Amino acid sequence: MSRKLWACAAALAVFTAVPAAAQDQARLNWVEVHSPAIAGNLEGNSADRKVLVVTPPGYDESPDKRYPVVYYLHGYWAPVEAQQAGFKLHEAVQAAAEAGNALIMVMPDGFSKLHGGFYSSSPTVGDYESFVAEDLVGWVDGHYRTIAERASRGLAGHSMGGYGTIRIAMKHPATFSSIYMMSACCLPPQPIDVATARRVEAMTEADLANAQFGELAAVSTLATWSPDPTADNFLKVDTGLEADGTLDPLVNQRLAANSPLVLLPQYLPALNSLEAFAMDIGDQDFLLEGNRQFRAELDRFGVKYDFELYEGDHGNRIAERIRTEVLPFFGQHLDK
Amino acid sequence: MKALIAGALLALVAAPAAAQNITAPPPPIPEGITVEEIKVHGASLEGNLEGNEVDRQVMVVLPPSYRTNPDKRYPVVYYLHGFAIDGKNFYNYMRVPEAVAHNAAAGREFIVVVPSTLTKMGGSMYSSSVTTGDFRKFIAKDLVGYIDSHYRTIANRGGRGLVGHSMGGYGTWVIGMDYPEVFDSLWAQSACCVSPRTETVESATAMSAVKIEGVDQSGFGMRAGLASMTAWSPNPQNPPFYADFPLKDGAVDPLVMAKWANNSPLAMVASHVGALQSFDAIGADVGTRDGLIRDDTLIHEELDKFGIAHRWETYDGTHTDKIGQRFDEVVLPFFGEHLDAATAARPGERG
Repeated sequence: MSRKLWACAAALAVFTAVPAAAQDQARLNWVEVHSPAIAGNLEGNSADRKVLVVTPPGYDESPDKRYPVVYYLHGYWAPVEAQQAGFKLHEAVQAAAEAGNALIMVMPDGFSKLHGGFYSSSPTVGDYESFVAEDLVGWVDGHYRTIAERASRGLAGHSMGGYGTIRIAMKHPATFSSIYMMSACCLPPQPIDVATARRVEAMTEADLANAQFGELAAVSTLATWSPDPTADNFLKVDTGLEADGTLDPLVNQRLAANSPLVLLPQYLPALNSLEAFAMDIGDQDFLLEGNRQFRAELDRFGVKYDFELYEGDHGNRIAERIRTEVLPFFGQHLDK
Repeated sequence: MKALIAGALLALVAAPAAAQNITAPPPPIPEGITVEEIKVHGASLEGNLEGNEVDRQVMVVLPPSYRTNPDKRYPVVYYLHGFAIDGKNFYNYMRVPEAVAHNAAAGREFIVVVPSTLTKMGGSMYSSSVTTGDFRKFIAKDLVGYIDSHYRTIANRGGRGLVGHSMGGYGTWVIGMDYPEVFDSLWAQSACCVSPRTETVESATAMSAVKIEGVDQSGFGMRAGLASMTAWSPNPQNPPFYADFPLKDGAVDPLVMAKWANNSPLAMVASHVGALQSFDAIGADVGTRDGLIRDDTLIHEELDKFGIAHRWETYDGTHTDKIGQRFDEVVLPFFGEHLDAATAARPGERG
């Protein structure tokens, strides 16, 4: 996603005030959820995670009603508040309710010191995967009137969150019944080379603060997928750089072991067990090629999914499509 | 790969040419020990594309007091066999009944369960594959569920240990990482396949040349390669092997290599640190004359790097010559130290 878009989104990041008594409107509930899975990470990412729970209109007046839940995983770079400012989940929840699909939408904070935990499991970054699939789902089911069953739980996400969606769907098939990947990142393996390894080894805190989107994303995925608590670098990553200037192949093997394209054939039963599976991407998105490769593999293995290529880039139509495509999709497939 | 073949060449007993699987004579059964040979249905294996048996042979060894004390519940040690052998012959070779008797005499009572995971290719690799069947889930869910509902077990995590030899040691690592909530403690004996398996153009070309009818005669090393392939790069659309071969357009396919690496315990550790830290105890050992010592040392070092406590031992031995003895004298005592001990059941509770 473009830096400009996010600068814009961040500027709007002030919480949108929603009148407390406006029960005819979807309500934004900013809460905090403690995640044992994230506790103890080496980046100092908080185990007390901000979470946005959007309840549908009428939630308070219907104390006996239970609702399906759509978990939405946000993308890289911008904090969760900026994601909400940009993508306006409450408008989508409102529209869904008006169309007869009253549901709860939950967006957890997937941000980290390096701007994104990739919903994976790393001692350096924290276990964001278990945070979402276990700690968060358990907490939401315990604190809101959900239909606490697989058939009524959906998982969606954009970019890094699209990656998180397919990863978690593969590894936790008993938790979610339908998934929607929007402009997913990181589908094919993302190997690092010697030049990148050298650059990362030499990085300082100041470099981090000034790093551009792509550069920081590469460091963040390394911290997520090739962590090393014993590393000399302050990032606590294993770059694989050897004393003789070569790269330890194990680093790229670890990175590959977190790639959905690589994981896919071993999780076919999980994906085939989904009630519904959708993915989409804009025709000007820089991630088109990775998505094309992933779809080619899904096709090769006979996995059924819906796909839409629409006119747009990586970020310019996400808010709209959450409202017009994603929530209607879940409205159709989740049990209510 | 060289190491795997080297290990294999130290094969236990010469195998009959037709099946090329290892056999061993039935073991002595000490007085008081009960052995049951049962079949366990593997729901996780249904529909596998290799045509592997869905109802699996399982050896169950019960300690002496099991029959005399019907109120007692016991910890269970699941013992996974290696490549090119079935569960019963592995049980034979390891002389499991004697090991159970020795440990019971020393006050450590266990039920030991030895499932057979022999497949058309010579071994399941204890992996999750639509081609071979999901053997990880078979062990962790189907088998554990069956044993807990048919025997007087301590039916919770604290009462279950998982151990295996060679391919079974590999299985111990990967099942432990995927299903940490099921087992209390792990022990890997002479684990194979720890670092990612790779191929050259020559070896990959040789794999592509094997006909499905010729698998049995293709030799231990080739069968191990084909078994790895059907376990780690399954492809339901590519009969008759239902797998993606490592050779593609005259070169080694990096995507297939990445899929295999994704099944390497060494590459998996970094993404499964929480799972590994959740075990009560982990142990691993290997003989100093076993070709697999290099690989097994690597995973020991990787566990150290992530601060995952474990016991690591090397001993004077080969891939096979001391494993039965060590199961009896080291592995079962290790589980005796860590698993919940056999206890009287609550009044009125019968298995």
